Amino acid sequence: MDFLLSGQLLFAALVLGSVYAVIALGLNLVYGTMRLLNIAHGEIVMVGAYAAFWGFSLLGLSPLVALPVVGVLTGAIGLFLYGTLFRAQLAANKPVAQLEASSLLLFFGVSIVMQNLASLAFTATPRAYQHLDTVYQIGGVAMTGNRIATLVVSVAILVAVLLFLNRSIYGLAVKALIQHRDAARVVGINVDRVQTVSILAGFGIAGIAGALVSMAEQISPFMGFPFTIASFVVIIMGGLGNIVGGIMAGFLLAFIEIYAVALTSANFRSILIYGIFVGILVLRPQGLLGKARRS
Amino acid sequence: MLKKLTYSLAAAAVMALPFTAQAAEPLKVGYSIANTGLFSKAAPSQMTAYDLWAEQVNAAGGLDVAGEKRPVELVWYDDESDPAKSAQIYEKLINDDKVDLLLAPWGTPHHLNVAGVVEQNGFPLVGNTAASVAIREVQPGNIWFPTSAIPDRIGPALTDMLKEQGVKSVGILANVLPFSQENLQFLVPALKAAGIEVKLNESYPPDIKDMTPLLTQLKAANVDAVLALTYPSDAFLYMGQAKELGISAPYQFLLIGPTIAAFKDAFGPVADGVITVGHWAESQTDWPRAKPFFDAYVAKYGAAPDYLDSALAYMSCEILQQAVAKAGLDHDKLREAISTMTFDTINGPVRFDGVENAITPTAFLQIQDGAMQIVWPKDIATAPIAKR
Repeated sequence: MDFLLSGQLLFAALVLGSVYAVIALGLNLVYGTMRLLNIAHGEIVMVGAYAAFWGFSLLGLSPLVALPVVGVLTGAIGLFLYGTLFRAQLAANKPVAQLEASSLLLFFGVSIVMQNLASLAFTATPRAYQHLDTVYQIGGVAMTGNRIATLVVSVAILVAVLLFLNRSIYGLAVKALIQHRDAARVVGINVDRVQTVSILAGFGIAGIAGALVSMAEQISPFMGFPFTIASFVVIIMGGLGNIVGGIMAGFLLAFIEIYAVALTSANFRSILIYGIFVGILVLRPQGLLGKARRS
Repeated sequence: MLKKLTYSLAAAAVMALPFTAQAAEPLKVGYSIANTGLFSKAAPSQMTAYDLWAEQVNAAGGLDVAGEKRPVELVWYDDESDPAKSAQIYEKLINDDKVDLLLAPWGTPHHLNVAGVVEQNGFPLVGNTAASVAIREVQPGNIWFPTSAIPDRIGPALTDMLKEQGVKSVGILANVLPFSQENLQFLVPALKAAGIEVKLNESYPPDIKDMTPLLTQLKAANVDAVLALTYPSDAFLYMGQAKELGISAPYQFLLIGPTIAAFKDAFGPVADGVITVGHWAESQTDWPRAKPFFDAYVAKYGAAPDYLDSALAYMSCEILQQAVAKAGLDHDKLREAISTMTFDTINGPVRFDGVENAITPTAFLQIQDGAMQIVWPKDIATAPIAKR
């Protein structure tokens, strides 16, 4: 049992948790401010992974150096989708249920299109590359370079976003929009601009997360779906649109995944994760930190 | 303007007529493939082999149909990784498109679904990427399976190899997906019968994202051999995390994954010594067609073929080609030819007994200095097994 206390498991849980938290953060920003259910979120992660792969393979660019470029690229995809598909709908101030439903369908289409475009452009053959794969022994814990980098960058993003939301005027406006769209408009917030900021941030962060996971996973046009599912589990568990709740849920999920498997058996991994997920929703339908909402 | 264009097109068509009349009518060769969906990662390794084969055949003047050379035209549809859709597509290929020959879809479930269609239509189909004991339950006659990587053979063969290497204990990790579990089912009894201790036997779900807890236990078990019954994505996960944790067992076997070119790209020298299932390698000089296939593939695609799927897909084309050269397109004659002939393939001679390949043995590959070598069984080995 003493291996439960080993730093190795803690390190694994932190790395996995930070990845879950960051990927879900992008989804949560987009949902929170606009009530758009982005089923194509995993595909944005996929685009980020490919961008990092090609940057590394063709230009010899470290994915860590390429992170800002990747973020801008996927952010631009977000802006394009916002401009073409959602701006008008959001401006028309449609009911939340209608926005959720139509965005779900639209993003479903977007996800299929992106998968197949990637498959046409890059072929479906899986890709991979080696970067920062030296293993370091730190305090008796073995850590691969790219996993340390993933942890550090992810935590930096989480901290930066939290600071932005709490300290900057734009961040406060984003929070206001998450809390109450109509009231935010009434007090003079430029809703369109805030939405632009959050879609840029949401899609940009997803792309950056993709670049990070590309260092350790194989890259293929269809790699996105599991990330979409994991992000939805995380943000629903944390409370839809609740940024802090989402981050907590990301780490909680990872700790369940690592420690529950260590205590029981890997066979129970998915049963435990989804069991706890359902359990939380039964006890707190609004999620861990979500406030009960009346529609 | 448009009228003028139509006239000139018509004129061009008339002028072209004498030439087209001379060339033989193209031969339609149909198949369905998982171009999108769950298996789309795996299917390209098969499609690339088909394309290469068709290109080579056409460059050589066409496919020899009992003496007459006809150009090959591939007709394919996306089955979206859905076995039921695959069966519908083969119906369509046979009855609507009226294809002359068929090639196989990707994967065991698709093969099993299509088997009924070809049986009903009496249309011979040489399969390739299906490996399950279930293929023996398919009615023999119109479908054949060239693979020798069948779970009830893999378990005992792997055990023989480990025993010969003096392995005393193993740790098993198995994906819960069917091919892994089918292998597990035959592997454990074989190990027990051979007196090899199974110190750890854990299954895990396919969507596992981190193996640290499992691998910590595996490391503590201190086994001579790790037998990881993986699918591709968890093969990558295992390799990366086993490296992080310093799993140093001298024998590390991964079921599916290491034959994909990206595996070597991801791990480089760390992948050296990894053993996997596979019965083909370009370095086997007893098979004179092996190296030319490898070279042509690399020249066309810039990467090595998948040692299992690309090789099997190409073999199935070779078998069909040689059978058609002898028997032509008549289904009865073709069926007879495939059932009785011995074929000269990139994987050496192949002959069918019922639905199964009666010659190619179940074999294992090992990555050595970045290249794939056959290490078991000894009569087709291209290199001795190296400890990791």
